[in-house]
Amino acid sequence: MNFREREVKLAYIKEAIECIAFGTAVGLGVYGFFLFFHIAIFGWNLGLIFAPLAAGYAETYMANRIIGEDIGAISAFILFIYTTFYSFILKNPTLGINIITIGSIAVILQAAFPTLINYILLVGGLGIVSYLLGIFSRITKFISNNIKKIYYRIVHNEEYQIKNETTPVFDEKKSNERINSQNFYYATTTDINTKRLRNIGQFHATAIIEKDKHLIHVDQEKAELITLNRLKEGKDECLIKLSENIKSAGGNGVLNLKIDYGLIGLGGDRYQITAMGMGICLK
Amino acid sequence: MILTSANTLESKKILDYKGLVTGESLIGSNIYKDLFSGVRDVVAGRTSQYEEELEKARNIALKSMEEKAESLGANAIIGLKISYDNLGGTMGNTILVTAYGTAISYEENEL
Repeated sequence: MNFREREVKLAYIKEAIECIAFGTAVGLGVYGFFLFFHIAIFGWNLGLIFAPLAAGYAETYMANRIIGEDIGAISAFILFIYTTFYSFILKNPTLGINIITIGSIAVILQAAFPTLINYILLVGGLGIVSYLLGIFSRITKFISNNIKKIYYRIVHNEEYQIKNETTPVFDEKKSNERINSQNFYYATTTDINTKRLRNIGQFHATAIIEKDKHLIHVDQEKAELITLNRLKEGKDECLIKLSENIKSAGGNGVLNLKIDYGLIGLGGDRYQITAMGMGICLK
Repeated sequence: MILTSANTLESKKILDYKGLVTGESLIGSNIYKDLFSGVRDVVAGRTSQYEEELEKARNIALKSMEEKAESLGANAIIGLKISYDNLGGTMGNTILVTAYGTAISYEENEL
């Protein structure tokens, strides 16, 4: 690390510490306010939620203004430690383990670390469930196949043939040939040097594909492969639509072709694939 | 195989435009990657797990595209575009990496 880099890093650390200190001060202020006015539900002070939230928000706001990026709401973590120590250990050491306490801890954790907790719940949790379901599915299939094998051997006196699960396949070669064998020029460049051409206008084509709505998959990899294959099919469909649009306008090619993928619909429940470019007539 | 985002190849003569070639790859959910990049996100810093995954996905997409260009008899891809699109998923962890370009054949001799 050279001197200049070290200087920049030290300045960054200094600004980050200032932002954390500001966030912590705001959080402590909010916590003090809630304690002073006894704003509580069932004897449980709401400052435990709002103090880390306010600290994280204030720190993030300052960091975005001064440094230009989020530094991770570290003051929320400090407030979480402080409020938990103050409320649960110092002021109320006899607090027992019950539903209210566990619920309170869960809410505090959620308030202090929203990103991490959401990841644990939505990604980690669902991922673990999917993984366990996958193992369960493989065990049940193994048992079922062995029972069938024994049954066929005893009753039918023949070997039972295990049916292998088919992996979804997308024929890349066939797709490539299909796209490039329509007597139509697809070019991502803005010009085709060797040809004389006439521009006939800008063209668009869109394909909408329904998204897989299942939250949990027994075989995650297979589900992702199916999604990818559907996107590839959608892209082919979109390119063919674009070529048909241009052909119907008297063209036989497209320049500066762009393919975009995005989400559309309520809560992004569909994939949108768009192909666009300048329609041309090659002479 | 030459890959370039430019419209043409400097000092090479393009013999033929072979057509469009594409390659796609999807990054899905992964407990290790998602949880650890989530932790890094909270304490700030670069999430190298995602960087590695993106590099892998980009290489798969480029390789698939190159194979298609070879099957068309091309020896270069011009007008190359690579895009990264977030396709939602659980907490936005599904990323589609696409590479596409125009397959061409060029004369090996310098102009």
